Amino acid sequence: MIRISERGIFDMLALATHLAGRWPIGAYLRFEVRRQLRNRRFVIITVALPVSLYVLYTAVLDISSSATIDGLAWPVFFLVSMAAYGAMAAAITQANAIAAERGSGWSRQLRVTPLSRSSYVLTKLATAVLLTAPALVFVAAVAIIVNHVELPVRVWIELVLALSLGSLPFAALAILLGYTLGSESVQGAVTLTFFGLAILGGLFAPADSFPPALATIARVLPSYHLAALGRDVVASGVPDPVDVIVLTAYALAFGGLAAWRYRAVEQRSHGG
Amino acid sequence: MIQTIDNPRTRDDTTAPPASSPPSIGGAITFRTLTKHYGDAVALDRVDLDIPIGQTVALLGANGAGKSTAINIMLGLVTPDAGEVRTLGQEPRVAIESGRVGSMLQTAGLPIGARVAELVEFTGALYPHPLTSAETLERAGLAGLATRRVESLSGGEAQRVRFALAIAGDPDLIFLDEPTMAMDVESRRAFWADMRRFAAQGRTVLFATHYLEEADQVADRIVVLDRGRIIADGTGASIKARVVDRTVQFTLPDADPTMLRTIDAVTSVDIRGAGVTLQTDDVDATVRALAGRHIPFRDLEVVGADLERAFIKLLAANGER
Repeated sequence: MIRISERGIFDMLALATHLAGRWPIGAYLRFEVRRQLRNRRFVIITVALPVSLYVLYTAVLDISSSATIDGLAWPVFFLVSMAAYGAMAAAITQANAIAAERGSGWSRQLRVTPLSRSSYVLTKLATAVLLTAPALVFVAAVAIIVNHVELPVRVWIELVLALSLGSLPFAALAILLGYTLGSESVQGAVTLTFFGLAILGGLFAPADSFPPALATIARVLPSYHLAALGRDVVASGVPDPVDVIVLTAYALAFGGLAAWRYRAVEQRSHGG
Repeated sequence: MIQTIDNPRTRDDTTAPPASSPPSIGGAITFRTLTKHYGDAVALDRVDLDIPIGQTVALLGANGAGKSTAINIMLGLVTPDAGEVRTLGQEPRVAIESGRVGSMLQTAGLPIGARVAELVEFTGALYPHPLTSAETLERAGLAGLATRRVESLSGGEAQRVRFALAIAGDPDLIFLDEPTMAMDVESRRAFWADMRRFAAQGRTVLFATHYLEEADQVADRIVVLDRGRIIADGTGASIKARVVDRTVQFTLPDADPTMLRTIDAVTSVDIRGAGVTLQTDDVDATVRALAGRHIPFRDLEVVGADLERAFIKLLAANGER
């Protein structure tokens, strides 16, 4: 009779943890997430702002609190909007880190370690996706506590997954911006980009309330489709293929441009 | 900037091979007629260099002499225009990715928000056989700074962190580009003590500096670069010997310059009142001749050339070429 000893299981767990920590991307990812969560500006823009706006527009100001939009009650609709805004802002903000690292020479120091260039880029994408978590978790928590929003656990999980993975086009955009702009100009451009995408994409005020021309613009923006993806998941449990296709197309387009910028920059630094 | 030194320490000249030694297969660094231009400016001009495993080598030169270019080529950060380079017998990028090389670059900003211990641990995790974080911190003299954020460090402390990043992977070969910039005299001394302890375990160390004192006191071998060419290569003592220019001073009232010029090995005579200063190619021959002719000198003193003067002379000689 085969008996797996308790000791053996603990040894295996210890080994697995050890291997994960020793996996370069795993170690890098952990390092990046920890240090960036200490950035006060990041926390204010991606967590404090959407949480405050959510409380303001669903609990403090008595506006449309009983209305439903796209079949969702306003507290649920705006929860998805603010979660989508926070996730998008967290992902795009990675551009600041990338530009700062290029400017300070830290990325050059990484180049003389065994970390490969593809691992560097992969880690940046993964960091962007992981850093959407604080925004999603805090906005959801406030929705539950303040407005007693009730959704099945499965739907909460699907919503978090949809919005964090749906942020991949914005992560690719962050790499594009980080490799295009210098550390001086990047912060302004990044802030302008995610506020612009949030306002025009109907995250701060529903696109349904826009004049027709603006509403048309909203419907081609990735920010609109990120929130729409979240709303689909909450309303019906299944994402609308249109949102998935549009977000994938943006991810590929930004990813392609980012790869082109990345190659141009790396080649230049290689020659100089 | 150049610091003055007067280091009478003698060295074993056999530790460094002559510049013309045959290419060392499996050496730490090999350059073959390596050339790099930036536009019209020559950074490296047909440089040959062999650094065997285990040496501590200083690349010495003024700003713009080609030191950083040489190191960046060894690290695969810069591609040469012509010639061949091998780092640990491999293409530089391959050597870097194998995890056997550690580096301290001149301008490496540290990532804001990170704590010193986190940075060291993460860097170690990128290498196949790292030191433990505790060991790296201890060896770099950072044990007391482990929980500090990198943005709160002084310039000298940040340099120690960069050194820690260079050794975290327990590399066989380590590059230090101007490592003691931003350090005061005391931390400089402590830094080199740590570095020596690390190098003593059979590792190869290559550092760039424009401090002659450091090159002479720390390195087994000094390679002097000037405008992209190696103009001297050997121990500190042997470089001094190449430009022998020793001075014999004594007191002699009413000295006769014409007579003194005929003394063996004397190259120049300078008389100020009763003070006489002779430049000589061979101190022994000159002193023997002075005694042999019964010249009534007093307070005789022999002043050795310091590396500072040797360096300036080398640069001047290269400029005349």
